[in-house]
Parts: sequence; structure tokens; C-alpha cells
Amino acid sequence: MVDFGTAELTLEMVQASQLGMRALGAGLAIGLTGIAAGVAEMAIGSAAVGATAENRDVFGLVLLLTVIPETIVISGLVVALLLLF
Amino acid sequence: MLRPERMRRLLIAAPKGEIDTIVRELYRHNVYHIEDFVPESESAEALSIGHPLPGASDVASALNDVRAIENACGINPDNVETREKLPASKVREMIRTDLPAILEEVKGLVATRSRLEARQKEHEQRARELEPFAAVPLDLDLYHGYTRFTVFTGHIARDVSIDVPHEKYFSDRVDGNMIVVVVQNEYREQVERALLDAGFQAIPVPEGTGSPAENQKAHLAEVQSASTEIAEVNKEIARIRERHTDFLVACDELLTAEVERAEAPLRFATTEETFITEGWVPDDRADRIRQALEKVTNGRIYIEELEVDDAARVPVEYENPSFASPTQVLMDIYARPRYSELDPTLMVAIVFPIFFGLILGDVGYGAVLLFLSLGLRKFLKGDEGRMLLKVLSFASISSIVFGILYSEFFGFALPWNAVLFSRHLNIGGEVHGHGPQVAELMIVSIWIGVLHITLGRILGMINARKFHHGKHATKAVIANAGWLGTMWGILILIWSFYAIPMMPDLTGFPVAIAVGVVLLVAGVLGIAQENPLEIVELPTIISHVLSYARLVAVGLSSVAIAMVINFIAIGMMIEPQLEAITPIGVIAIIVGILVFLVGHVLNTALGLLGGGLHSIRLHYVEFFTKFYKGGGKKYNPFGMKSRFTEE
Repeated sequence: MVDFGTAELTLEMVQASQLGMRALGAGLAIGLTGIAAGVAEMAIGSAAVGATAENRDVFGLVLLLTVIPETIVISGLVVALLLLF
Repeated sequence: MLRPERMRRLLIAAPKGEIDTIVRELYRHNVYHIEDFVPESESAEALSIGHPLPGASDVASALNDVRAIENACGINPDNVETREKLPASKVREMIRTDLPAILEEVKGLVATRSRLEARQKEHEQRARELEPFAAVPLDLDLYHGYTRFTVFTGHIARDVSIDVPHEKYFSDRVDGNMIVVVVQNEYREQVERALLDAGFQAIPVPEGTGSPAENQKAHLAEVQSASTEIAEVNKEIARIRERHTDFLVACDELLTAEVERAEAPLRFATTEETFITEGWVPDDRADRIRQALEKVTNGRIYIEELEVDDAARVPVEYENPSFASPTQVLMDIYARPRYSELDPTLMVAIVFPIFFGLILGDVGYGAVLLFLSLGLRKFLKGDEGRMLLKVLSFASISSIVFGILYSEFFGFALPWNAVLFSRHLNIGGEVHGHGPQVAELMIVSIWIGVLHITLGRILGMINARKFHHGKHATKAVIANAGWLGTMWGILILIWSFYAIPMMPDLTGFPVAIAVGVVLLVAGVLGIAQENPLEIVELPTIISHVLSYARLVAVGLSSVAIAMVINFIAIGMMIEPQLEAITPIGVIAIIVGILVFLVGHVLNTALGLLGGGLHSIRLHYVEFFTKFYKGGGKKYNPFGMKSRFTEE
């Protein structure tokens, strides 16, 4: 009689599944931090555009302020690349 | 180089009689940056602002006329190519003789055009009002003039049946349908209710007699004739533009110069008999202009060189080798350097294209951008735009060079393996040679970050000595050294615990740990002695260095997009169809080619944005914050480079 209940778990399958999990983790790391950076930059960016419209000289300063939250996604990126490679 | 051009501060005083000669001479040399005179109410001497030179208002009104003509003809002097320079005397002569006639003609044409446009609009409006009535076979005079009948005309959602004696016309040939109902006055309310229930919207009956369709046709014919006449007038205006552009831009230039000269005394201080002005001249031109002024006035002038006491007041002009000067436009977007500080334009000019190439290292995209930047040069006339294009062309050359090193061409591999690290991802399962060497690339980018930031901090130490004096300068220098020490301390500590490829391996040396700790502690103390609050900024050391990882990340994403496009277009759509060509297969191949083209156009745009913005951001945020303040005043010499006229 053939037993259909238990599938054989080979080493390759375990490895493949681990690889998939790593890819998932990397995707989550980039995606979630990307959303976080976007949410954080949303308010700063709109305020920055307003300020630049009033006075063009502040462009350099508001650019700095706008990109500060990008740190979040950079850490996500580093984590993702470390996971993948 | 590396600092703004040196300036000298000149004070010029002369009798009022010489004011015209001196202004003319200063204007011709185009080097003197006038410091506007601001009268102080408490000033002991009776200094007041000067008066414009005689004839200023005439010149200004003539300039107004010229600008009005240019406006009407759509001439923008910035966009006009210089064909030949007209002699100024001839232009002056023509302003007296030709300009009034041209002005009259253009004014007349513009007035005619606006009258025609008004007429055209009116008839268009009438025709639009008549349109619904054209669908009903009734003459316009049949709609009014009744005492015992009421006429309903309007749009309606659907046809209605009315159960009182009436006459009705319904048409669904017009937008929103059209209904006309005529009833006796006593049924008026009843019918109105029935109509409103069906979504009736009344429209007024247009004036006029006869058939609405004929009326409409007549109005449309009027519209047609008006637009032909407008086209006629436009042609006339275009003819004037064709014939007089050279003359008009020359007039504009000459008169603008005259107005500026005539109004210059408004920026001078005057007494009863003399005038005084202060201003800035580049160091190497100062002697020449002094001699020239003394010569034209026969010595009836007093020029003194004043000391530069406040560096913040000095106007700033860049001084860079010619290949770096287009990059000044990127500096101006951030802030012009102050007079006393280092001008990093040269460094940006070298590093920016390298970063761009690292990100968008692809022979194909680089070539496309290079052609684009060379081709657009014809269409962009502004100075800033041209400078940006030059920066772009340098960046795309760098992109081509890195493309050769990475062995990339629109995401395909070139016939050799990557000389630098490979970025060929395993997309579509057909990777040749090396897979992507992401870890190596990351480490390279971290190295670039560490070195770039170290350079920034060293420049910060140099700048600190220029911004501050005495004890404060020392403190600022030590703080900068502290940041540097902290960063390298952290690095050495990491190296002594982990062996990282392509970085020094210090795991075997316990001394390294000690060195790292000492550097770290000394660095933190160095930062804290200037301002303890700065300690909260310590994590930026890590985030700023890691930020350079975007050099790899943004680049990899553009490679990935390119390879995906290639795989979808060629691997999935074109190649399988080529084996056996069927009619559907041909369509698939065409769609595949479309996907390929659109995809790569989009990816080029993305690469330009990603490569440009991220490279410049690394400069603005990670590099400049270490040393650069900016906020210098722009050097704006009194004078003009004449493009269309010559004396």
C-alpha cells in the first residue's frame, strides 16, 4: 500500500524553503521601511515645498530636512541585502 | 580654485559733472558690483540718494514700447540667436525713425485681432444657443408673441405624454434631448409639473427670425470668416516678427543698457557737488578699471581701496577651471559659498559624475543620455539649462565608462566579463559568468562613503578656522576631528571583531581594540566639548556612511528593471514566436518590441532621475553638512554683455 500521508522532506526542499523565507524577509524589510520613510517624508515634503515657494533660498535646508527619514529605508535596504547575499 | 574669486572694495568719488562718463565707463567694463547706498537718518553729512540721469524717463518709455511689441509678436530675447551685431548708432537712429511706425502697426494689428476674437466668440455663443432649436422644425418667430398660449422650450431626460390639448415637438438628436410644448395658458401649471417630473430644464429662445438651422449656419459662417481674418492678422504679425526681430532685440538691449545706466545714480550717494559710490571688483581687474576711470575723467576722480572688514558683505563669484564651471549650477541650487569658505565646486565636479556612473553604469543608457544632452543644447537657450546639460553630458560619459567596466548594455552583458564587480542579476535563469557581486559592491560603496565623509570632515576643520576666531576656532576644529575619530574608532572596532572581505582584517590584534576604543572615546569627548547636545547626533555617523549603499542599491534596481524588460520582451514574447511564425505570433512580436522600447525609455528616465538625484543628494546631505555653510551674495556686476549691438 502506498502511503500518501507523509511526504518525504529532502534537504533540497528545506534549503529551497529557507531561501524563500529569506527572500520574503528581504522583501518585507524593504517594503515596510519604504512605507515608513514615505509616511515620514509626506508631511516634511509638503511643508518643504511650501517653504521653497515662499523663499527659494531655503531649498538646501529643506532638502536636508526632507531626506532625514530616508535613513529608515536605508537600514531596511542594508538588512535586505545582508539577508539575500 | 577651491575658493571664491578674491574681491577688492573700491570707493569712487567724483564731481557730479563726471557722473555720466564714469557710469558709462563702469558699464562698459562690466566688473563693478555696486553696493547700494542706504541713507542713514542719523548721518551727520548731508548725503542723499542721487537722481536719475536726464532723459531716463524717455528711454524707459521707449523700452516699454519695445517690450510691448516683443510681447505682441512673441519674441523673447533670451531665445533669439545672434545673427549679426548691429552698430549702436544705427539702432539709435532706427529707434527714432522706424520704431514709432512699427509700434503703430503692431498696436493696430493687436487691436484688430482682439476685436475679431471678440466677434468670433460672440457668434460661437449664438450658434451654440441655436443648436437645440435647429432640431425642431419651427421658425424662431413662432416661439413668441402669443397671449393665450404658453411655450415651453428646454432639455428633458425623456419624452413625456401630456393629457391636455397641446402641440409638442421632441428630438433626441441633440445632447440632453430637446422638447417644445405649446399649451393654452390654463393648462400651464399642470403641464409644467409633468415636464419637471421628467427632468425638464428650460432654455431661453434665441432672438431672431427665420429657421434656426439657417441662423446657426450664418453664425458659423461668421465664426469661420473671423478665424480666417485672425489667421491673416497673425500672419501679418509673424511677418513683422520675421522682419524686425533682429532690430527689436537690439533695441531692447540698447535701451535696457541705457535705462540701467540712467538709473545707476539711484544707487549712489551724492552731496551737492559730488557723488560717492562703493563697490566690489575682482582682484585681477581692479587696477585696469582704476586706470581706465582715471583716464576718461582726466584725473578728476578719487578712487580709494577700502579694507574688507566684513566678509559677509563681499559678493561671491566662482573661480573654477572651465570643466568644473557647469557644476556651479548645482552649487547655486544648494547655496552659493560664502566669501570666506572653501568652494567645493571642483570636488563636486569630479565626484558627481563618478557617483552617477556607479549608479547608472550602462553603455546603452549612457549613450542615450549623452545624445540627449548634446541634442537638447540646441533647444535650451538659458544659461542655467545649458550648464545642467553640460553636467549631464559629463555624467553620461562617466556612465558609459562604468558601463564598459560593469559590462552592461541596456541590461544585456557585453562580450566580456565585468572588469569591476558584476551586477548581472539572475533574471530569467540565464546568467552568464559571474552572478551579482552585491556584497563586494556594498563594501566598495561603504569605502566610498567613509572616504567621502573623511574628506568632508577634513574640509570642515579647514573651514572652522575661517568661520570662527580664537578659542572658538580651536573648539570647532577639535569637534570636527572628534567626529572623524569617532567614525574611524567605530570602524577599527568593527574590523577587530569581524573579518570583512576587502577591508583590513584586525581580528588577530588586541591592540586594535584598544586603538579603536581610544579613538572612539576621544572622538566623543571632542564632539562634546564644543556642544554636548551634539552627542545625540552620533547615530548619523553610521546612517551617513550606510547611506552610500544607495550607490549600489539604486544601480541594482535599474539593472533589475532593464533585465526584466529584456526577459519579458525577448525571452517571453519574441523568442518563442520566432520558432514558428504564425499571425498571432507576429502580433506578439510587435507587442514585445513595444514593451522593449517603452520599458527602456521609462528606465532611462528613471535612471536619469535616480542617478542624478541620489548622487547630488549624497553631496548635499552627506558631504556638505560636514563643512559647508553657503549663503554668499551673488556677484552681479554693473554692465551687460552685449549680444546684439556693438558700439
